[in-house]
Amino acid sequence: MKLKDYIDEKLICLLKGKNKEKVLLELINLICQNKEIGNRQEIKEAIFYREKLMSTGIGLGIGVPHIRIKGIKELIVAVGIKKEGVAGYETIDNIPVKIVVMIVAGEKEHKLYIKFLSLVVSKFKDNEVREKIIKAKNEKELYEILISSE
Amino acid sequence: MVNESRLNILMLIGLTVLLGTAGARLFKKFRVPQVMAFILIGFFLGDSALGIINKELLFSFSSFNIFVLGIIGFLIGGELKKEIFEKYGKQFVNILLAEGLLAFVLVTLLVVLLGNLFFENTAFVWALGLLLGAIAAATAPAATTDVLWEYKTRGPLTTTILGIVGLDDGLSLLLFAAASSVTFGIMGRGETGISQIFLRIIYDSGGSVVIGAIGGLFLSLIVRKISDKYGIITFSLGIIVLILGISKLLKCDTLLSAMTAGVFITNYIPRKSREVFELINELTPSLYVLFFTFFGAQINLTNLTFPIMLLSFVYLIGRTTGKGLGANLGARISKAPKTVQKYLPWCLFSQASTAIGLSILSLQRFPGEIGNSIVVIITTTTFIVQIIGPLAIRIAITGAGEAGLNITEEDIIRESKAKDIMDATIPLIFENMSLTEILKIFGQTDNLYYPVVNENKKLLGVITVDHIKNSLMTSGLDTFLLAYDLMEPVIAKTSPDLPMIEVQEILNRYNLEYLPVISAENKVLGFLEKRQISRKISTRLIELQKQAESLG
Repeated sequence: MKLKDYIDEKLICLLKGKNKEKVLLELINLICQNKEIGNRQEIKEAIFYREKLMSTGIGLGIGVPHIRIKGIKELIVAVGIKKEGVAGYETIDNIPVKIVVMIVAGEKEHKLYIKFLSLVVSKFKDNEVREKIIKAKNEKELYEILISSE
Repeated sequence: MVNESRLNILMLIGLTVLLGTAGARLFKKFRVPQVMAFILIGFFLGDSALGIINKELLFSFSSFNIFVLGIIGFLIGGELKKEIFEKYGKQFVNILLAEGLLAFVLVTLLVVLLGNLFFENTAFVWALGLLLGAIAAATAPAATTDVLWEYKTRGPLTTTILGIVGLDDGLSLLLFAAASSVTFGIMGRGETGISQIFLRIIYDSGGSVVIGAIGGLFLSLIVRKISDKYGIITFSLGIIVLILGISKLLKCDTLLSAMTAGVFITNYIPRKSREVFELINELTPSLYVLFFTFFGAQINLTNLTFPIMLLSFVYLIGRTTGKGLGANLGARISKAPKTVQKYLPWCLFSQASTAIGLSILSLQRFPGEIGNSIVVIITTTTFIVQIIGPLAIRIAITGAGEAGLNITEEDIIRESKAKDIMDATIPLIFENMSLTEILKIFGQTDNLYYPVVNENKKLLGVITVDHIKNSLMTSGLDTFLLAYDLMEPVIAKTSPDLPMIEVQEILNRYNLEYLPVISAENKVLGFLEKRQISRKISTRLIELQKQAESLG
């Protein structure tokens, strides 16, 4: 499994929002550009419900909001960065979240979903990769870094 | 004309089956054995009440009655395995002789004592006493076994009842042959000597046993080679009917012949014969409805006079006391289990076709007052004991703790609902539980599937051992994965009151291994796992088997 197989250039952004809610909404809007997603409201509710159960700030400045939802066949991924860190995004090590990877998977794609989550965690744990990503000046550069980090 | 008559018969059969079955269902609500409903409805359709089922129709069904009795005899024979004879053989003989002979003696004496007050002719009174005494020894196998099968009984009392009711008709026939001979003598029409009576008895019982054994051997050889159930059932029915026909032709005892065939195949091909008996047994409910309803219809209570009413009363007292005391005495002598000693006396009240048949034979052999009186007394008392008898058996088998012990896996499934089988102690996994917490729960229980619920315990999904395996194989996720992330959607769920048959249909239809049981508010009440359903049913069957064995 490779990151570049699931990263879409159109679903990458430099985040404008300053707090968690705005950042998540920004990424939801981005991810809803995918034709497979029909109901934005459903995605929004599911993402925020999951965050209410436990924040997806997994440490080392990474946030991975993720859900599985009915009616989607492939894995849809949106990536955003916020150099200053996202306010209000609780993490297990208290390091502010600077990279947010939003994952939306099909309800029955359990194996793929778990594998991809694992891939994201292992890739972004690498300090060098993380530093490069955070320093990206624009979406294009961010995309290049992401797909070349295999 | 012929067509019209046939149509009427068909209509009557349809009406009888429908009313009988509807009545039985109604009676079941009041926990009354179905056989009583059949007989009462038959009685109201018969000549004594509405007159819808008349004598001509009943006569045309005489062969059908022999057939049903033959089927019953065959099934009773199937219960009498070699081990049963070895274990209960002595007990059967003791009880049979005690209850049969005591009923014979008491009825004879009481009828003679009371008869002397009404009739001047002593010979007539003794003849009446002896013949009624002989008839009193018989117990109706059909009505008795129907109650046992309806309540799915198993245990020493059930085995003893089956052994006794299958054999005491034979004793009654022997006593009747002897009583007839004595009656011929005392009435001055001595035609038969003692030696001839014994020859007749040996011919009757020996002939029946030989016919039954040969039929049983043929049936064993045939069914051993076939495996399809249609083949088994048609060959079995064909041979049973042939056995009955030959017995009738040679004037042997049809019930004893069919019973011998049953005994033969259950001991000669024990494993294969189970299939034969199960298939034949499936036929009996529909046959019983007609058999007992027609039986009820032939009861005629229109010729009751005061002396006959009194004689009927003392016949009942003598027979009930004789059978009750005799059964208890026989059970004590043979050191039968306490439940048999206590409850068997309540199980031998029913009298039916053998008694009616012998009363009709009395009318043929002794036309006039003796024959007529016997027919009316037997008809009247049969009506009473057929109403009381099944009820007494139900009370006895329940008291002995044998009801419901003879059930199969299918019976348990048929009679259970989801709530009876579900695992109500399944641990709930809350949606915000971490992988570490989930693993802790998995370690404490042996389930393969767990319901995932929200804080209000409403069902959201299911976590399987497979999901956890996938998550464990990937690293770095244990800190942030929750049950919510790992659960799979619920494809189907059930209410607690759904019958298990329908639960199994759902499991098969969706190819599922589990089914959550939920309330109307979607709260988890329990969980059904396919492998645990089988385990639970097997455990229940073993429990029932042990319970039956512990009774004796």
